[in-house]
Amino acid sequence: MKTSTKSLDWGLTTQRLLAIAALLAIWQVVIWSGMLPSMTPGVAALASSIGTALTSATFWSALAQTMTAAVSGWLIAVAAGTVLGLLIGSIRALDRSTSILIDFGRSFPVLALMPVVIMLLGATAQMETVVVALSCLWPVLVQTIYGARRMDAAVADTVRTFQIPALLRFRRILLPSATPFIATGIRISASIAILVAVGVEVLSQAPGIGRQITLAQQAQRWDSAFAYLFFAGLVGWSIAGLLNFAEGRLLKWNRQTND
Amino acid sequence: MTDTALRSKPNLDTASRPRTSKREGGRSRSAQLALNVLERTWLIVVVFTVWWAVSAGSSNVFIPSLESILVSLGRDLSNGVIASGATYSLTNLAAGLLIAVAVGIIVGLILGETKRLREIVDPVIHFFRSVPQAALVPLIIGAFGIGQGPKIYTIAFACMWPVLLNTIDGVLGVEPTIRKFSKVYRIPRGLHFRKVVLPAALPQIVAGVRVALPIGITVMVVSELFAANKGLGFYILNSSATFMVPETWAGALLVGVIGYILSLLFVVLERRILSWYFKSGAK
Repeated sequence: MKTSTKSLDWGLTTQRLLAIAALLAIWQVVIWSGMLPSMTPGVAALASSIGTALTSATFWSALAQTMTAAVSGWLIAVAAGTVLGLLIGSIRALDRSTSILIDFGRSFPVLALMPVVIMLLGATAQMETVVVALSCLWPVLVQTIYGARRMDAAVADTVRTFQIPALLRFRRILLPSATPFIATGIRISASIAILVAVGVEVLSQAPGIGRQITLAQQAQRWDSAFAYLFFAGLVGWSIAGLLNFAEGRLLKWNRQTND
Repeated sequence: MTDTALRSKPNLDTASRPRTSKREGGRSRSAQLALNVLERTWLIVVVFTVWWAVSAGSSNVFIPSLESILVSLGRDLSNGVIASGATYSLTNLAAGLLIAVAVGIIVGLILGETKRLREIVDPVIHFFRSVPQAALVPLIIGAFGIGQGPKIYTIAFACMWPVLLNTIDGVLGVEPTIRKFSKVYRIPRGLHFRKVVLPAALPQIVAGVRVALPIGITVMVVSELFAANKGLGFYILNSSATFMVPETWAGALLVGVIGYILSLLFVVLERRILSWYFKSGAK
């Protein structure tokens, strides 16, 4: 999944804007034609409710709640995943014994555990953080293990021949070679964090953007439900873009040597 | 991601090879094999045993003993309650995934081949991809009802983006020389797509479907947890709403096991479809 070239091309920008305008026009025509259920909002209603949301306190506090849960769960997962991953990836026996368990964990749809977690912790922000952390753990863990496991035979021989002390080996060899993989895991899990946080809120009473979407839909306020959906997408989009940019910046050395 | 997901495969190889040549290999080979299996499975046995032992005397109503979870799971598996739910859920998943793969590949091939169009719609695609899939569930179900169709569309919508983006990437990765050949010999457009671009992009496309599969499973469960009268998610939700705690746990664990089995099956399928690719040793 490559990012587009970042050069400023006015012709392209205009065409992009035109494409978005065309999409909105199609949307409006479809609404007028009556193909969609009558409650779907038109473009004007959508735009005004996006404006309303931007100035309402409910929106900003919902956004803050979602972000808090997503970010704290993500941070927990990153810390736990990196430490565990480096440990598992650098010890062969541990790597082999945990592989089935980790394969199982990463293919587990964590949102299916929601009713169980709600029973244990209640529909709270704490519960949301736990579910987010549980979902984000796997990409970080798997990528870190993969990064830590990968070591050139020549490097491994050098380490053995010169009897490099464990700590130095960890700091100078294991960490640098695993970092690009860890970064990928962290980036993948960041988008998962937002998705899961919103998902948890949709399904439970936990406060946040997802909860607002469910509430708006149940109150037949379709325009604001769509507005919140738009913002949820916008947040995910900016986070993905930001992390892509950060990864490219931080790992410049790796790209240059690799390509 | 590609390599990590295939990790279980070499293990299977090393595990099966000694078994066939056990007779001439003698004791040391089979001992090695036993040790290998033991090394891979001991932790699972430990986790299971610890869970069994710790939860056995649990006084917390919400943490039932593993025994009671398994008993209720066995009962509902044998009386067909789970089977009918699973059939419903997995049909939705398969239909949604099929739509997603079809649309994703077709649109991806078109966008991959036309640079200008791709650049124009790029921000739109990335925006739609970033919309949290679970957030679509209340809107789609609210608008179209709790039937099977809306659930399939939601799964299809959520699963389409990884397939689409990977198809584009795969098309862009087609060897320029091959592309030139196709042009020089004036291969007709349809044939060019079918016989040149599609096979070359297939490894990437399959990787995209592998990403889409867990997304599809999640959306499947979420759509049923949100509102349904059938399916695995409904089984979990209904059990928790009626305070049948062991059943709730059993349902959640079962969905996890199904997710695991599906991802294993997918690796097998991938090996099948891409056997020429793996044989060629290309990476």
